[in-house]
Amino acid sequence: MNYPIWEVPVIGGGWLIGIVAVIHVFVSHFAVGGGLFLVLTERKAYSTNDINILNYVKKHSKFFLLLTIVFGALTGVAIWFTIGLVNPQATSALIHIFLWGWAIEWVFFFIEIAAVMIYFYTWDKIDRKTHMIVGWIYFVFAWMSMVVINGILSFMLTPGAWTQTRDFWDGLINPTYFSSLAFRTLTAIVLAGIYALFTASLLKDKKVKQTIVKYSSKWVLPFMLLLPLAGLWYYMTLPEIPREIILGGITFVSNTAIVGLMAGALIFFTVLIMGFLKPNLYNTPVAVFVLLLGLASMFAGERVRESVRKPFVLVDYMYSNGVLISEFDKIKEQGLLKNSKWSLITEVNDQNQLEAGKEAFKLYCSSCHIINGYNDVQPLITEYDEEMLTMIINELENYQGYMPKFAGTEAEAAAIAKWLAEFNKENKKGEIK
Amino acid sequence: MIDQTMIPDIDPIALPAPIWLLKFLLLFTFTLHILAMNVAVGGGFVAAVTEYFGRKKKSQNHFDLSRAIAKMLPPFTAFTITLGVAPLLFLQVLYGQFFYTSTILMAWPWLSVIVIFILAYYGYYIFSFRWEKLNGKRLWVVLISAIMLATIGLIYVNNIVLMLTPDKWKAMYFNDPHGTHMNFTDPTIIPRYLHYMISALAVAGIVVMMWGMKKLKANEQLGKWAIRYGAWWFLIPTFINIAVGLWWLIALPRDFMMMFMGGNQFATSYLLVGLASIFICIILMFVGMNAAKPIGKIMAAKLFFLITIVTMILMRHELREEYLKPYINWDAVRTEPQWDVIIIFALLLVGGLITVIWMLKKSFGKPVIESK
Repeated sequence: MNYPIWEVPVIGGGWLIGIVAVIHVFVSHFAVGGGLFLVLTERKAYSTNDINILNYVKKHSKFFLLLTIVFGALTGVAIWFTIGLVNPQATSALIHIFLWGWAIEWVFFFIEIAAVMIYFYTWDKIDRKTHMIVGWIYFVFAWMSMVVINGILSFMLTPGAWTQTRDFWDGLINPTYFSSLAFRTLTAIVLAGIYALFTASLLKDKKVKQTIVKYSSKWVLPFMLLLPLAGLWYYMTLPEIPREIILGGITFVSNTAIVGLMAGALIFFTVLIMGFLKPNLYNTPVAVFVLLLGLASMFAGERVRESVRKPFVLVDYMYSNGVLISEFDKIKEQGLLKNSKWSLITEVNDQNQLEAGKEAFKLYCSSCHIINGYNDVQPLITEYDEEMLTMIINELENYQGYMPKFAGTEAEAAAIAKWLAEFNKENKKGEIK
Repeated sequence: MIDQTMIPDIDPIALPAPIWLLKFLLLFTFTLHILAMNVAVGGGFVAAVTEYFGRKKKSQNHFDLSRAIAKMLPPFTAFTITLGVAPLLFLQVLYGQFFYTSTILMAWPWLSVIVIFILAYYGYYIFSFRWEKLNGKRLWVVLISAIMLATIGLIYVNNIVLMLTPDKWKAMYFNDPHGTHMNFTDPTIIPRYLHYMISALAVAGIVVMMWGMKKLKANEQLGKWAIRYGAWWFLIPTFINIAVGLWWLIALPRDFMMMFMGGNQFATSYLLVGLASIFICIILMFVGMNAAKPIGKIMAAKLFFLITIVTMILMRHELREEYLKPYINWDAVRTEPQWDVIIIFALLLVGGLITVIWMLKKSFGKPVIESK
């Protein structure tokens, strides 16, 4: 209610964040796991004295550098940009709560970027031991940045004791902190293998290619077997409502989870058969296919994580439309429009009902419902008339558990209902024609 | 009276540190960001022009320099981003109610920064990794990348000024809420922007001089040439920039201009110190570029230049505070410092710097194996 609303056409702000975030996460997890892959593979090359592995690792490090520090870093900035645009209120809250967490993460990020560049630029220029130390420094700090950011991300769903204490550490080390850190770390290692399989598939020498494919498959398979365990642990640490949602409470969430699991299983068997057992079959199209499956399962995972947070953006603190729980009663009493700094209409009267309804909808509902776009309300309300709609809006939380309670006056609810009912009339006209 | 109802309320959660500390970190990290940005953007333009002259004059010196800049651009671009993240963080926590709002008004140009940056950055990598292979095309690759990065600066300046002028927001938002605005109606945008960008050329000039000083031992002719060449890159933009700075000063609303003319003792003394140190810097550069032993003089010039940059950033800050004075009362902003986490941050920062310096020393200090 505090900030102007930026409406993203068709897909809506939520999806925009989702798309940017998934792309970023897909690269940033690689940036963590891939660091471990680089340094351990380098060590293997030295200990086995295998020049082919060494040459591969050098090539892979170039791919790694170009993907992570350009695309990975900038899509990370892009998340910041988009969350600030779509949900400034929540972004501001997170930055106030976790400013020093982010500042610490920034220190790690700085070391990480310096280390990966030095690692890449000093192949054959410094002694092997020092080069590997630089590689280890890279990996440790890349993982440490995950250690911090994981706390902030998991906080959004399970703020734990923070709700009472408002203490930084309570928020950061929250009930799902360790389980999601385990899950993310395993994901990072698996992704390192999946990306390595891709660069391996580009190798020209068949024998070398098979060796690297087989080697990289070993990065994927055992850790993938551990992933369901970590997932289960994560699930066990979730509060009751998110668990119910995943288990079928909201159909699309459980469907998304199933799609994610299936994509994961498909990765496992493709890598097992075409990577580990018959490494000569692992060509570039297969590698790209597996990468896409990886993207799909990450997408599913992040989507589920985001969806189970409803009706909040920050659980027990702020609703998904930016309304603070602490301000709910005040807004409900005085009205949405009156409490919005960026509305030209300040109250509902007999002349402006439709306009006021449209404005109140924009303020309160548009963070999840895009007219003629994502999660459009039009098909959801065809069965209801104005009176019924008013009733539903006043009891949103009973009607749909994952929608926020309505923080407006009855006049505002009626105005929104009136405005929505117009869609039904228009759509019916269209059908008759 | 300005309609203050349009400015979002300050976040109900208290600031997790004293305001002075947050402002100090904002300015400190911003200074580092600006320096890296200057090399990344200015260096791109210098490389493009150097390429052009290299071809026109068939000059090996120019090509050697172009090759050297090509190697520097990607790391400096990386540090521009990394060092830009921190000031953006501190800016958001201190001035979020202004910054988020202006950003929403220009959402699409703001988001386009990411796409432009990714393209420009890859352009720099292509220029760096394929310098030889690109041959005739490389001038265009680096020039286009540099122009793209400079465009990002323009979008930034638009937003950073828009956040200071809440009186414009209402009309903009109700005219078009879709986030497509820019802020070009503000008369300070162009001189402000040019002031930063021209300074980027000057900083790149200094980097060229430093490269020349490093080359003196191995190739005296090349080293001396680069020092003189870099000095001109420093001097000409700096002269122009004094004029552009004056333009910016005049373009400011009268009250703001007056604060640099005695109205605000801090702002005025920053300006005086900045002007004095840039004049000393210019004289030292003139002496240094022609001296038989240039290194000491140039290093001293560099120091005075750094002082100038710091004073300019302090002036910029005073200006921001003046713009926002009617809209924020710092005495009323609540703070609840999280000292334990702040101390951990400080220790990690020091440890991190030591780690990075150690890595750089180990890697580039004394080459163990000669590069190919």
